[in-house]
Amino acid sequence: MAHIDCSFFSQSLNKNAHVIVYIPTTSADDYLGDVKTDYFEKDKLFPTMYLLHGSYGDCMDWSRFTGVERYAQDKGIAVIMPSAENSMYLDMKHGEAYLTYVTKELPEFMSKMFPLSRKREETYVAGLSMGGYGAVRCALERPELYGYCASLSGALDRSFLKSDEPHAAKMPRSYTAAVGSDEQEGVDLAELLSEHVKKGTELPKLYMACGTEDFIFPCNESFYKKAAELGVEIQYEKYPGVHNWDFWDTHIRDVINWLP
Amino acid sequence: MAFFQMNFFSEALCFNTDINVFIPTPNSDELLNNKKSDYFKDGYKFQVLYLLHGAYGDYTDWMRLTSIEKYAQEHKLAVVMPSASNSFYQDMFRGSAYLTYLTEELPRYVQKLFPVSTRREDTFTAGLSMGGYGALRLAFTKPEQYCACASLSGAIDICDVYSRFKAGEMGGPFKWEDIFESGSPEGTDADIFLLIEKLKKEGRPLPRVFQTCGTEDFIYASNVSAREKLEKLGVDLTYEEHPGIHDWDYWDTHIRRVLDWLPLKNDSVKEEA
Repeated sequence: MAHIDCSFFSQSLNKNAHVIVYIPTTSADDYLGDVKTDYFEKDKLFPTMYLLHGSYGDCMDWSRFTGVERYAQDKGIAVIMPSAENSMYLDMKHGEAYLTYVTKELPEFMSKMFPLSRKREETYVAGLSMGGYGAVRCALERPELYGYCASLSGALDRSFLKSDEPHAAKMPRSYTAAVGSDEQEGVDLAELLSEHVKKGTELPKLYMACGTEDFIFPCNESFYKKAAELGVEIQYEKYPGVHNWDFWDTHIRDVINWLP
Repeated sequence: MAFFQMNFFSEALCFNTDINVFIPTPNSDELLNNKKSDYFKDGYKFQVLYLLHGAYGDYTDWMRLTSIEKYAQEHKLAVVMPSASNSFYQDMFRGSAYLTYLTEELPRYVQKLFPVSTRREDTFTAGLSMGGYGALRLAFTKPEQYCACASLSGAIDICDVYSRFKAGEMGGPFKWEDIFESGSPEGTDADIFLLIEKLKKEGRPLPRVFQTCGTEDFIYASNVSAREKLEKLGVDLTYEEHPGIHDWDYWDTHIRRVLDWLPLKNDSVKEEA
């Protein structure tokens, strides 16, 4: 893998953006083991996973706390990890336009810059916690762009923000700034999903996993239930586990294995 | 400019190595001041400069100690800055194959991963001091790949540098016996002048050369004699000298002269299919 640390001026954010990118290249393992690789075949374009961090995090998280480089190398896919502050991956009412950035500017920029596939069935979005919400939100924003979407321990509805929960006080203040109010349009995933169902949109294939001891588990249960009621198929995996990197390092492998 | 710091496994070096890369993309200055900003387009590529560090340095030097990003942005030029340790840009006898890395593997990676032109007329090398030699070493090793090279305060006459080193007149981190099998560059392809003679005999193209050196630089006398030798060999040479010593003030100033001299289109380019 080539590990590429990118900085560039983003016109949708009106500031410099920081992104970490992996592109498959010959590894020391490939070299030692005489593994035949076709990374440099002419016109080779890589399937691409946009991989989103959670609250409190940034574009470095996935490479620092998981083995995603190795898993993506085995699969032969590129990985794009942007930074989105605590924006919920939304166009913030008071703040930057992260949904526009992640779903429009970033894919356009990255596919011009690097040898990435532009096929829907080779474009994926995944993330953890706030990034799990972000992955689904991005998929519902541009269902024609992404063929596959995965949420790990995703904040898939707003119930985890209820003030009587012990973790609620520790949530970033920008969550409320980001959305204005709970009822603001374009925030509730189940509602967006139901609009797409009504329109008959072809949705990306959906995957979700959550730890059964995770404080965010109830959100996953309720979102899955609502999606099922709408007749939307989701591959839903529950495992013993909490809201931590052990869970995400283990189950991002499942996500990558689930991809075509 | 988009700025990329890339780390990857190099087969030629047999270890992970870093490069810094600039690719022209619209910046806030272009948008605010209504300058040209329509050059980052699908299917278009950029002219590319491989920019080499000097002894004791690495891939971060040019970015840290000059404003190369600003100058390259004005010209819409991609810049690639690799590391070559203190190898004098050779395939070391005891050490790593830096020349192979830089002339074969690196261009292949850069051309695959980034939108840079693969054409000779769009591909250039430049460097300072040891890298000023390196720029010529790369260009004349693969003269079909590079159309122009530039040396700033360069150790172009490596045999002269070697003999001054041996006479104790010049210092440096070079382990000559590790770089060269005989312990000396004399009589090898590392001697740029011998290399050029060989290319001429083989009827191969000669890249154009830009040479600049400070008149108070310890390497000035060596540059004056290198100039004579290059001219005698019939190299298409642009020579400049200015008041200055062997320092980053000189290189930050004169890398701009290099960019003015290179055959730059100041725009992205479309390669023929």
